[in-house]
Amino acid sequence: MTAEELAAAVRSGERTAAETVEQAFERIDRVDPSVGAFLEVWRQPAAERAAEVDRRRDSGKDLGPLAGVPTALKDNLSLAGHELNCGSRILSGYRAPYTAAAVERLLAADAVPIGRVNMDEFAMGSSCENSALTATRNPWNLNMAPGGSSGGSAAAVAAAEVPLALGSDTGGSIRQPAAFCGVVGVKPTYGRVSRHGLVAFASSLDQIGPIARTVRDAALALSTIAGPDPRDSTCSTRPVEDYLESIEDGIEGLKVGTIREVRTSALDKDAAEGHQRALDALEMAGARLVEVGIPLIDAAVATYYVLANSEASANLARFDGSRYGHRAAGARSLRRMYTDSRSEGFGSEVKRRIILGTFALSSGYHDAYYGRAARIAGAMRQQFAAAFEVVDLLVTPTCPSGAFARGERVDDPLAMYLSDVFTTPPSLVGIPGVSAPCGLDSRGLPLGLQILAPPFAEATALRAARAVEKTIGFVCNPEPTP
Amino acid sequence: MSLDVEEVRRIAALARLQLSVGEEAKFASQLSEIVDYIDQLRAFSADAAQADDTKPEGAIAVNDVPLEGRPLLEDFLDNAPASLDRFLLVPQVKAAPGGAE
Repeated sequence: MTAEELAAAVRSGERTAAETVEQAFERIDRVDPSVGAFLEVWRQPAAERAAEVDRRRDSGKDLGPLAGVPTALKDNLSLAGHELNCGSRILSGYRAPYTAAAVERLLAADAVPIGRVNMDEFAMGSSCENSALTATRNPWNLNMAPGGSSGGSAAAVAAAEVPLALGSDTGGSIRQPAAFCGVVGVKPTYGRVSRHGLVAFASSLDQIGPIARTVRDAALALSTIAGPDPRDSTCSTRPVEDYLESIEDGIEGLKVGTIREVRTSALDKDAAEGHQRALDALEMAGARLVEVGIPLIDAAVATYYVLANSEASANLARFDGSRYGHRAAGARSLRRMYTDSRSEGFGSEVKRRIILGTFALSSGYHDAYYGRAARIAGAMRQQFAAAFEVVDLLVTPTCPSGAFARGERVDDPLAMYLSDVFTTPPSLVGIPGVSAPCGLDSRGLPLGLQILAPPFAEATALRAARAVEKTIGFVCNPEPTP
Repeated sequence: MSLDVEEVRRIAALARLQLSVGEEAKFASQLSEIVDYIDQLRAFSADAAQADDTKPEGAIAVNDVPLEGRPLLEDFLDNAPASLDRFLLVPQVKAAPGGAE
């Protein structure tokens, strides 16, 4: 059942939240030893919360739109009193002292958070292999990477362990794993969802968003978690739309742009064919395809890795063994404690990115790297704005290929970064992006279509994703077996 | 642009990181490749554009943030590796005489 159907059944009394959560536990027990999505299942707290939801319904109270829906949280989202590690040893033992705004809204909608799921350490990675805590596998083929950094969220949803998960997206960390796992992932407009309670990676890029098996469920979840929040000064005060309201309206007459600089030669053969199928589906649904140019899109990966890592080097300075998490034993000075705690606590990819960001911000290099990248991001924003004067939406493949094998790129960070070639541009310009499944490749692995919209036009992007979903008829039903 | 082991060690020290000999060599090679890739940004002209740090529409001024609902001191201290009364406990700022820094 979808999240929408489950919530309707719980609200009507057709089923209880308690049995819904129990069924999720049973599924987790059955498949998660193979998939490895969950870091921790909050059995008792989730069962208690489900019982509370049922009690409220029994006492005649109206329940929220996600009543009883078991939901997984990426390991960088705070839920008060629960451990949160960000996939890192350096946050070992850390318990969130407060609840993230997006999670508060899930709770207010009567959803039931049932556990935290794996991620690349501090959201730095595209395969979930940079987690210090566990290995997560792609439910469609356990030898393949689930994508990252929200790989645990996408794998848990694809394996039907939960109908809904929250992830975070800085340069593609919701959209890329969603594409690899054959589920729907939404990166909202920067400022649409509060970042309060999300552990920061690159604060000017980070956004929280939903991952679900259907576009309608993703829309329902986004309607729930979006909205103003005074605790995040970058959060927009613009009222939130009900993204389900217009989702079945179709895309007849919509102008959808393909980007000239997104060359099919950059895609593997399967991805190119899959993308063409998605474009055909958009046309069959009534959209008119138009080609537009965004020349700076070719600079996106380099720009992203300068800006994101510069911000990360500053944001992660707080992890030094003083206030929380891992502290190296035996340090006799404050400086030694900082250095040893960080060197022991961070994994290789995080160290590599902190060094890269420190380099880009250091004296003598700041203007050549950070300054130039910031100017290019500004110019890219203008090019996207100009494109959206001509078209309603833009589309690209979510990734240049389907899922790659686990271990294939772990020693080649640049090759790993280049898998973000289509997901980094919308992050840099702050626009919303939806990854929707658009079929399987010749290996039987899912492919994703990325649908981009102007700022705060999530409703239009979700409407198009729904049209593609209906036209292509993709079904997410992997059965992960060892 | 290539980064040698010395340069990687210098930047790591700025970031309060100490790398093993193996990490230094590996990172020097990997980071050189990444910086070479990033150097392609020189080929892109962004002269017409200024760095754009526009806030999202309707962003809230920091001064408007209400103070209620902030985490309690006790919650914060619960996560500290070491504390004494209401304070975080850390090693002394300067190394003890004869002690390693």
